[in-house]
Amino acid sequence: MVDVTLHNVKKQFGAVSVIKGVDLTIADGEFCVFVGPSGCGKSTLLRMIAGLEEISSGDLKIGGNDMTHVGPSERGVAMVFQSYALYPHMTVADNIGFGLRMTGHDKAEIEKRTKHAAKMLQLEPLLTRKPSQLSGGQRQRVAIGRAIVRNPEVFLFDEPLSNLDAALRVQMRTEISTLHQDLKATMIYVTHDQVEAMTMADKIVVLSAGSIEQIGSPLELYHRPKNLFVAGFIGSPKMNFLNATAVPAGDQIRVTLPGGVDILLPAGNAGVSEGQSVTLGIRPEHIDADAKDGAILPAKLRLAEYLGSETMFYVSLADGSDIAVKADGLATAKPGADFRIGIPPKACHLFDAQGVAIINGDLTK
Amino acid sequence: MFPTPVQKAPAWVRHAYTIILPIALIIWLLPLIGVAITSIRPSGDLAAGNYFGMPSRFAGFENYTAVFRDSPIGWYILNSFKVTIPTVIGAVGLACLSGFALAVYKFRANLIVFFLFVAGNFIPFQILMVPVRDMTLKAGLYDSISGLVLFHVAFQTGFCTLFMRNFIKSLPFALIESARVEGVSEWRIFRYIVLPLMRPAIAALSVLVFTFIWNDYFWATVLVQGQHAMPVTAGLYSLNGQWIAAWHLVSAGSIVAAMPPVLMFFLMQKHFIAGLTLGATKG
Repeated sequence: MVDVTLHNVKKQFGAVSVIKGVDLTIADGEFCVFVGPSGCGKSTLLRMIAGLEEISSGDLKIGGNDMTHVGPSERGVAMVFQSYALYPHMTVADNIGFGLRMTGHDKAEIEKRTKHAAKMLQLEPLLTRKPSQLSGGQRQRVAIGRAIVRNPEVFLFDEPLSNLDAALRVQMRTEISTLHQDLKATMIYVTHDQVEAMTMADKIVVLSAGSIEQIGSPLELYHRPKNLFVAGFIGSPKMNFLNATAVPAGDQIRVTLPGGVDILLPAGNAGVSEGQSVTLGIRPEHIDADAKDGAILPAKLRLAEYLGSETMFYVSLADGSDIAVKADGLATAKPGADFRIGIPPKACHLFDAQGVAIINGDLTK
Repeated sequence: MFPTPVQKAPAWVRHAYTIILPIALIIWLLPLIGVAITSIRPSGDLAAGNYFGMPSRFAGFENYTAVFRDSPIGWYILNSFKVTIPTVIGAVGLACLSGFALAVYKFRANLIVFFLFVAGNFIPFQILMVPVRDMTLKAGLYDSISGLVLFHVAFQTGFCTLFMRNFIKSLPFALIESARVEGVSEWRIFRYIVLPLMRPAIAALSVLVFTFIWNDYFWATVLVQGQHAMPVTAGLYSLNGQWIAAWHLVSAGSIVAAMPPVLMFFLMQKHFIAGLTLGATKG
């Protein structure tokens, strides 16, 4: 088993820079997820690790060996494609065994490994079928099986679940997690779905416009986002952002929210200048819909979604800014009503004008 | 819905349709009907000037026997096969390889090479007649089946490459990438993944090229002189007497010569039509 190291890796298509210098170490046996909005370069980065895209500059090491300019077949990686890429003219068994057959493994060995992979993925009854006779989830399993038989050191997944329906996606998610625990292989997984990233990853790499925004464990990213982008990207529903001004107040920072309400945040070792304009971030689930805790803001209820387990309220503040509030499922307020929300200081994040975090409302502390 | 189904059109359109369609069909088939009728006309009718009227009696049997008795048409047909089959194999085989290269590999001259293949199709081959004949003469291939095959392969490969390249381009590229990651060599990717998936294209193209080559008259007359290498289209000429044109025999011979491609068309109709549309819709 091996680790994967990228050092100042860049990718250019002509004059367009797609990956702008990525430094990353993925430890042996780690489940690493690349996440980011579409077009951020996450798939390109994965394909560069696979060897399907040339690395323009920088270097890539897999298991300590330099693989920057090595062909895809010699990197010891296996890849699962978004479209599954099953060979339509071969049966499931042939699909799984194809790579082994082409690289000169003997028949008995291929059969043994195919059987083993099929058993792991519950594909045994389907071995003689063609891909066209399989459902989406089964095709996905075959694609994974094709990766498993080769006993690769690194697994690469390129948005493997995005063609499946919601229920199947949840199921396959747990199956891939289980597989990771069983195989203990290094896995790199690309997705644009932050829920997938949060549930599966040991380590999440948040990418935006070809650069890494932040690397960390799922909870680290949730509680301590380094900047506005990560704060807004991780977490569902999205974090609320309010424009505010800050003044230092001893070992605290006084933030004036829209509507003139003040909130005192513990400064820690962060400092602000007098009257600095800042962005205050607060997650919908941390806002107190009963307005008992923290700074109280008057608002108007614009829209309510009653989901049973919880209720989503969308309220407008006096200055017109919109706030999402996740409240108890039994909350009964109706749209149009006056509404008061409480913002607890300990859950507030503060970002400067450049979007860099000054204060993280880390609730784990 | 466009076009509107004719059943839903106004009554006068429907009536006009039922009248005009058969007329158009007959006009379209007129030359063929003429040849078919002439092929059963006794030679006396032609001498008497009865070119387009009803034949005075049915002479089909004697005309068709005469074709086989008086001319080496069997030999010509054999020559046609000897030219057509190697050409189909050669052109389609080469096109599979060049189409794969142009569809799968990114290299600087890719588009230029591709356009050269395509542009070759637009050169009217009449202007190549003299240079090609000179070239065959110098290469010692004049008046031989192998010469004819070589030039047919050369001229067909352009169109076939266009066709194959577009077909392979329409296959999901992830299949090839997936095989590459699995460590499969490029040749084996071609042999075991791309080639099996190209089967419908190969069938369609083979049928198409078969009819093109079989019906070729131009190169057969330009590059071949002697009976030993003459394909049937050009060989029909020998049915004429030295001084007189034996139209009834030439017609009968033409019908015989047209049989293989017509049979091919009816047997492989599905592939033939696929061949006409495959490249167009999946480009």
